[in-house]
Amino acid sequence: MKGERNMASKERAKEKLTFNTLWQRFGTFGILILLLAILAVARPGHFFSVSTVTQILAQSSVNILIALGEFFAILIAGIDLSVGSVVALTGMVTAQLMVAGVHPLLSLVLGVLLGGVLGLINGVLVNRTGLHPFIITLGTQAILRGVTLIISNSSAVFGFPASFTRTISVNVFGLVPLVAIIALLTAVVLSFLTRQTKLGRNIYALGGNREAAWYAGINVKLHTLIVFMISGLCAGLAGVVLLGRVGSAEPAAATGFETYAIAAAIIGGTSFFGGKGKIFGVVIGGFIIGVINFGMNLLSLPSTLQQVVMGALIIGSVALDRFVANKK
Amino acid sequence: MQAQTLVQMKHVRKEFPGVTALSDMSFDIRAGEVHVLLGENGAGKSTLMKILSGVHKPTSGSVVIDGKEYKSLTPHDANRLGIRVIYQELSVIPTLSIRENLFVGRLPVKKRAFFHTVDYGEMQRRAEGLLEKVGLHRDARTPVEDLSISEKQQVEIAKALAVDSRVIIMDEPTASLTHEEVRHLFAVIRALKAQGRGIVFISHKLPEIMEIGDRVTVLKDGANVGTKQIADVTADDLVTMMVGRQIRKNYQNESAPDGFEQEEVLFEVKGLSRRDGKARDVSFRLHKGEILGFAGLVGAGRSELMDAVFGAAPKQSGQILLHGKEIRTKSPYQAIRNGLAMVTENRRETGFFHNFDIKQNISLLPFVKTARGGGTLGLIDRRFEKRCAEQQRKALRIKCASVNQPVTELSGGNQQKVILGRWLAAQSEILIFDEPTKGIDVGSKAEIYALMRELADSGKGVLVVSSELPELLAVCDTIAVYREGEIVRVFPHSAATEENIVLAAAAGDTE
Ligand SMILES: Nc1ncnc2c1ncn2[C@@H]1O[C@H](COP(=O)(O)OP(=O)(O)OP(=O)(O)O)[C@@H](O)[C@H]1O
Ligand SMILES: [Mg+2]
Repeated sequence: MKGERNMASKERAKEKLTFNTLWQRFGTFGILILLLAILAVARPGHFFSVSTVTQILAQSSVNILIALGEFFAILIAGIDLSVGSVVALTGMVTAQLMVAGVHPLLSLVLGVLLGGVLGLINGVLVNRTGLHPFIITLGTQAILRGVTLIISNSSAVFGFPASFTRTISVNVFGLVPLVAIIALLTAVVLSFLTRQTKLGRNIYALGGNREAAWYAGINVKLHTLIVFMISGLCAGLAGVVLLGRVGSAEPAAATGFETYAIAAAIIGGTSFFGGKGKIFGVVIGGFIIGVINFGMNLLSLPSTLQQVVMGALIIGSVALDRFVANKK
Repeated sequence: MQAQTLVQMKHVRKEFPGVTALSDMSFDIRAGEVHVLLGENGAGKSTLMKILSGVHKPTSGSVVIDGKEYKSLTPHDANRLGIRVIYQELSVIPTLSIRENLFVGRLPVKKRAFFHTVDYGEMQRRAEGLLEKVGLHRDARTPVEDLSISEKQQVEIAKALAVDSRVIIMDEPTASLTHEEVRHLFAVIRALKAQGRGIVFISHKLPEIMEIGDRVTVLKDGANVGTKQIADVTADDLVTMMVGRQIRKNYQNESAPDGFEQEEVLFEVKGLSRRDGKARDVSFRLHKGEILGFAGLVGAGRSELMDAVFGAAPKQSGQILLHGKEIRTKSPYQAIRNGLAMVTENRRETGFFHNFDIKQNISLLPFVKTARGGGTLGLIDRRFEKRCAEQQRKALRIKCASVNQPVTELSGGNQQKVILGRWLAAQSEILIFDEPTKGIDVGSKAEIYALMRELADSGKGVLVVSSELPELLAVCDTIAVYREGEIVRVFPHSAATEENIVLAAAAGDTE
């Protein structure tokens, strides 16, 4: 009997090494390598330089940060369309605080917290109305963008301490951008949350079967709140980071960023139906979007064409992933 | 004279990663017969039928249909050859109406000048005919999501009848049907038989099998251990073939043959009402060592009563007392924290986490129960998780390669056991079982009954809601009959018989 079970588990272990299971684990990673290889072949001169790594890392960071929050919203079979507007508003408020003389570090913290509060509002609205998050966050997306325009008088805000911009844009050892470290640290923390905590387990349960989660004693509303708060906090952090990288707060900043965040999460293997996905995948998904962006600039595609290419590549990489995964 | 053989499956073998579902299985279906497939949970019944319907490719072996031998079938082949399946997991589309579900993929059309349009008149007419046949009294335009489980099951059956067929496979069609609905199904089956169709009928309910079956094949660990004429065997023979031993029939507490009035009251519900009238001023007591069962017709409101007790549905009024002290159960979370557990009736909808593996499904409840901060705070203890799952796997004999296996890979009955395991793992004071043995094989049923007895003997409270009277009669010390939101009669085990319970449930005979 014991031997039989040992055999069974051995057989299972062997099965794990088939192409299929490997693809399921690392497929997204393969797409990333593929994209990098294409660039390396197309522009070997530019590609193989240290600054390439730095630039890709820096460019991906904002998107990865937003996508990390978006991941949770999708994980509970919802969505957060307001993240782009949250990025803009938190950036704007942080900039205005600094201009008004508040210490940069405090402004930064307040900016991130504001993101959390905005997320909380999304969560409360979802809970109170019972409407799908798609509707709620579609509404708050417009509202928050409007608020940003109002408080900024529709114009950009400059003139906050240069130390802020300099610090955020610093490259550690002249190689790794600080923003990338922030994004990856956030990913590590959230990965821990999803894998090692009861909170994370409950969120997956909620995404898998809402009603069963309720019967199992999971506080559905509380967890919905927490999820939207995480999404808001991540977007707030992204807003502050973007502010530091750009050097000014634009009222139209981050328009359409929710699309890239959703794309990153989905490319990274998160299921739209909820309950399935991993932080690691989201990070890779974010890098894929970053590499596509970087590559289009490297290949000097006209900006008019970039949107088209980006859209096509998003569809292409998800389709490729599913196609290969379904082929036996 | 022997009827024509419609389908012959020869030496079929099917391996899944880590499990051999079928080792060497031969099986045939004749025209005009009901061929019963019987076997323990995970014996390979569903897998065998999925090979016939083209869902799975056999590892080896073949299928002969119409004298033609197939190494494997595709769903398209199966469809073309007239093989219809009513799967164990319902496959109706909730957002579509009944009639659209019936004709999905082959809507009746009307020719117009340049194009075809859906012929709704024809669709409605045919749908009504089919619903009439299976005995479902609903407007065919009703969205399927508004139906109860048993009604969905009936739609599933009607769907298989919507197209011409040669072989109809029914994988546990009666698991969630009411007595009345089963009668209708049997009438349908008899009509199909008379038309010379072959029927494969899978069920764990022996009386049904003895009634409707012509031949029976018993599966054990993926192999055929015998095909018999039903007329030549008794139910006990079948159990012995399947489980390899006789099973106990009664599990009552023998120490209190004259009722439990003298015993300590463990759990009490006082004056419980629901706004929708599914519970009207209901009171009952559960004594130490007693198993209390709830009988009644479907729709009487037993599950709704338990939902209100457990805090899953709002109460209008009423008190819940544990050990004489009032406890609050405004949500399942509160109920769980205060010592209750409830195995829900519709476990696919209210119990099953398809995205979790076995151990995650089982350990969820203990985790929530022990977490501070409303069930949110704390870390996952992987050793505890594993131990907890292994314990239930052993206690319930869950058939799986390991507790790390996704639950979706388990057989239907084993999935049910996983959910049972979750609620047992919570180690609650009071356990409410709503249809505890749905989809579970005879041998395991007996083990679960024994387990319930053990729980009661060790001082836990056990409440059982079941529409299977033999089940209630086998385990309960006291049976309450529920009708239209009220307890109309209470029978001690010694006075309970199928007849008087059925009578009380239907007529509300209150003496
Ligand atoms: N997709 C799958 N992947 C891996 N193993 C599977 C898969 N489907 C079935 N199995 C395994 O094959 C065995 C037979 O399962 P099957 O569903 O045929 O049982 P069954 O006889 O229908 O049981 P039940 O009475 O519980 O419905 C089980 O051990 C099950 O775990
Ligand atoms: Mg089955």
